[in-house]
Amino acid sequence: MRSYGAMAGRYLKQQRKKSVLTIIGIILSVALISSLGTMGQALKDNMILNTKYEEGSFYFGYSKPSPELYKTLQKHILIDQLGVYRAGNEIPLTDEYSVKLSTADEEGFKLLPIHLYEGRLPAADHELAVEQWLLDKLPGTPGLHGSTQIEGPDGKTRNYEIVGVLNNQKRSQSKGSSEAFTYAPSANTAIDSQAMVLLTLKPEVDINQQVEDFKKLNDSLFTNHQLLALMGESADGNLNLTLAIIFGTLIGLVVLSTVAVIYNAFHIAVIERIRQFGLLRTLGASPGQIRSLVLREATMLSAIGVPLGLLIGWFGMWLVLWLMTQSGMKIMMMETFELTFHWWIMGGSFVIGFAAVYIAAWLPARKASSVSPVEAVKGAGSIVRESYRRVRIPSLLGLMGIEGQMASNNIRRNRTKFLITTFSIVISITLFISFHYFTSQALTITTTTNEDDRIAFQLNTNLLVDDTGKPNVVSDEAMKVIGGLPGIHGVYGIYQSFDFQIVVPEPVLKSDFVEKTNMALERVDTNLILYSDLFLYDEARLKEASKYLQSGTVDPKLLADQDGVILVQTVKPLTTDGKKEIMPITRYKVGDKLTIMTEYSSEPAKQQIREVTVAGILTQSPFGAPYQENTLVMIAAKPTIAKLMEARTGSADDASAMTGRTGLEVAMKDGADPEPVKQRLEELSRTIPGSRLVDIAEEQKETRNFNLQMKIFVYGFLIIIGVIGSLNIINTVQTNLLLRRKEIGLLQAVGMTMGQIRRMASLEGMWFGVIGSFWGILLGVGFSYFLYLQLSSVQGFPFEFPWGAPLAACGASLLVGMISVQGPLSRMEKANLLEELREEA
Amino acid sequence: MNVISVDGLSKSYGKGTTQVNALHDVTFSINQGELVAVVGASGSGKSTLLHMLGGLDKPSGGYVHIDGENLYELKEKERAVFRRRKIGFIFQSYNLIPVLNVEENIQLPLLLDHRQPDKAYIQDLIQTLGLQERRKHLPSELSGGQQQRVAIGRALAYRPAIVLADEPTGNLDSRNGQEVIELLKLAVRQYHQTVVVITHDMNVAAEASRVLTLQDGRLLSDTSSNGRGV
Repeated sequence: MRSYGAMAGRYLKQQRKKSVLTIIGIILSVALISSLGTMGQALKDNMILNTKYEEGSFYFGYSKPSPELYKTLQKHILIDQLGVYRAGNEIPLTDEYSVKLSTADEEGFKLLPIHLYEGRLPAADHELAVEQWLLDKLPGTPGLHGSTQIEGPDGKTRNYEIVGVLNNQKRSQSKGSSEAFTYAPSANTAIDSQAMVLLTLKPEVDINQQVEDFKKLNDSLFTNHQLLALMGESADGNLNLTLAIIFGTLIGLVVLSTVAVIYNAFHIAVIERIRQFGLLRTLGASPGQIRSLVLREATMLSAIGVPLGLLIGWFGMWLVLWLMTQSGMKIMMMETFELTFHWWIMGGSFVIGFAAVYIAAWLPARKASSVSPVEAVKGAGSIVRESYRRVRIPSLLGLMGIEGQMASNNIRRNRTKFLITTFSIVISITLFISFHYFTSQALTITTTTNEDDRIAFQLNTNLLVDDTGKPNVVSDEAMKVIGGLPGIHGVYGIYQSFDFQIVVPEPVLKSDFVEKTNMALERVDTNLILYSDLFLYDEARLKEASKYLQSGTVDPKLLADQDGVILVQTVKPLTTDGKKEIMPITRYKVGDKLTIMTEYSSEPAKQQIREVTVAGILTQSPFGAPYQENTLVMIAAKPTIAKLMEARTGSADDASAMTGRTGLEVAMKDGADPEPVKQRLEELSRTIPGSRLVDIAEEQKETRNFNLQMKIFVYGFLIIIGVIGSLNIINTVQTNLLLRRKEIGLLQAVGMTMGQIRRMASLEGMWFGVIGSFWGILLGVGFSYFLYLQLSSVQGFPFEFPWGAPLAACGASLLVGMISVQGPLSRMEKANLLEELREEA
Repeated sequence: MNVISVDGLSKSYGKGTTQVNALHDVTFSINQGELVAVVGASGSGKSTLLHMLGGLDKPSGGYVHIDGENLYELKEKERAVFRRRKIGFIFQSYNLIPVLNVEENIQLPLLLDHRQPDKAYIQDLIQTLGLQERRKHLPSELSGGQQQRVAIGRALAYRPAIVLADEPTGNLDSRNGQEVIELLKLAVRQYHQTVVVITHDMNVAAEASRVLTLQDGRLLSDTSSNGRGV
């Protein structure tokens, strides 16, 4: 031994079990901190990628550029990429279809959200990229690498080679008009009002600061708002600050729990050796030397725990993601999902890990250094006295017999130990609850999803049922055939939708909605008039609707029998403070009567009123836009709608015709091959004149993919938090117990059976779980509310606390608390009683 | 030459009616190379005196000079360093550091001072203490007598000005107790050490060259081994 400092290492080695427990505590915390950072960063990266994909990767653009502006920009030293795009004129191909041939230069293609399905983007002025569906509408029905003759940007018809096929867009297919692209170098492009200049700035440039300067160059400047907000470069968007606050809070919680666990371990280790420290003082060690001994122990533990934590955190994440992809999610394109390694996260976690350990060890180190040498040499007996509080609230444990009473005494006899143990359990539960809340809400915000995400094909007709003379344009038979194809998730009919006015009694209308949106509603007597869209859902649609059911039923038979409608009374209006907010518009309950005006007239005598019953309430619309801005959504089965329409038109035949099926939508299973379905639908489309097949399989796959990735993040997060939280509880409870080996030996010596000890310890473990759960839920709700306030600054929504998962977490913590004492107890049972008593004597 | 010089030393605990005078105006001096026993009944102030001599506790009044240094004029840290270099302690309960072996325990005061031990001297000490075979053993692997011998070695390692022993034979059987006394006497003879032993054991006191008797915190008598008062 070369220096007294080596004693630190010796001690840690001798107390191997305790050291290992402490190191595990450090590993868990550092793993959590680093995985939090990485997941948070990955979440942001993913959102940025997605935004670039959807909106394009440019920062600014000018919608009405001038040639002078373009010259200025070309010379601008802050600009990184500068692209030009020029919209073409509409060129009719057939009666139904048209194409718009736009041009872009090389940089323009990079900055625009153009999604290549196959091939490449045009690099010469005779090359063309078009949407897949448009290929057979072009003259000569070319394929990839084929050629076609259309009117060029200069108005002259010329030959183009198809070098790229773009993803099908839903909108262009429905409209029958699509945008095709050809290459035009910026020098040959007229920079006029039809052109658009797009740009990005060099890295390191403060984009936000430059907006004003760039606006001075030309008034038509627009920003890629969502991208800049995500990059933290938006003037009004505080998204990055919000993210920083949220992740800061969560990491703060983790650091707190680390400090608690490590403090606990060090505090106990110091107290046990307090005589040794006193002795060292008598031998002439200065307080500083004693302090440095304890801190040296902290350094050694961190030196092992922190790097291992970083490693385990990384592989933990990797493993969770790997397991998730193995267990069925691999069907999606997982190659786009990446965990990126960020030095700043690893470095930050490293520093935070060490800092947390030092903070935790500081107080015990000070305590050790302030030990009076006199106390130490006074000799016999422990000089650590536990402060036993005599006056206390009787605990429920007292009712559980002698073991319960002892457990209750054990829990309460040392205030510091009690507080630390409870604190670390409370933090684990709080962490889980806050995380669960945060992730589930973040998921709702980033991915407003519904069944539309699965729709890969639409077969639309602009026909009315009347024209065909059949009850449905798309027959039941056809629906059945398509539904029977492999890889189909569901086939849903497309029906007309109807708008009605609803007479809403004033108390039923949410005053919040009126206040926040400042919307003026028409008044009839004491009632208000609200606009409503009524959708017809067939059985297949109703089945999907059940996933969104808040209360009531979606059973088609019940709906038909009681003239029932299903309501979506949650809307997403733009509030007066300029942000979108999710809120309820009315407060209808299942069983309430809804007054519908089938025919509106300002004269009450001519108004036609019908009453329907609220049979179910959904959280959002299962199909179409998840939330309307300010209209109430009603969903009903065919018979109810037929009755309403009969009332409106006065003709049963008309009503029947209006409720006929005019098209269909096909939802695919994840990973299924859409090609055979497409072929079948094309065949079907040919048999229905005037029908148009909309193919959005590729787009749908991408949306689903993004949403799924978000889900992977969320569940990955939760699994890691859950596991680490449980391990934290196990570690705390076990440390607590292992440190009392000698005492448990003593209890055995005075005649307590191992069964009694087991019961006592289990009760202690469970009770810590109960107390931890109580405070954990309280704090968890508090933190969730805090996170809610942060999140709602991005997008408004009501605070709803998801009780299920937190309660499950509390149940799990009770169980974990109880189970985690069993291992150490079994080991103690096997150990020699005398050895236990002699240990450390 | 006076190694220890105590003048008017008092120590009281508590205040008012609960005040206890543990030491009251104690004055004496000890020369280098003396083996002095301090005897007295329980509560007579023996341990308090030892703490004062060792610079572990502050007196309420009076002075303690060790090796010419006024102990309580030193700052906390200086006193710790002084203790490390000039005072060796031996306790009834050995108080060895459990994670260090025999040799390391003996060298500890030097290591605390960031000094490399004089190997020849330490070897000699270990030899003298009869611990040659046990050099690499941990305290838990030693008998009580052996542990106390290690403690003696540790007290002598720095060649301190004085060695303070608090009931060094209290936990030992008579044979081991006698051995410890012989070693302390040897320290006086061989290393010209000054040793102050607090003891209940009259056999130990009989071996000392001088006996200080305390009663109720006062120095009752100061007799040399030839029976005459000093």
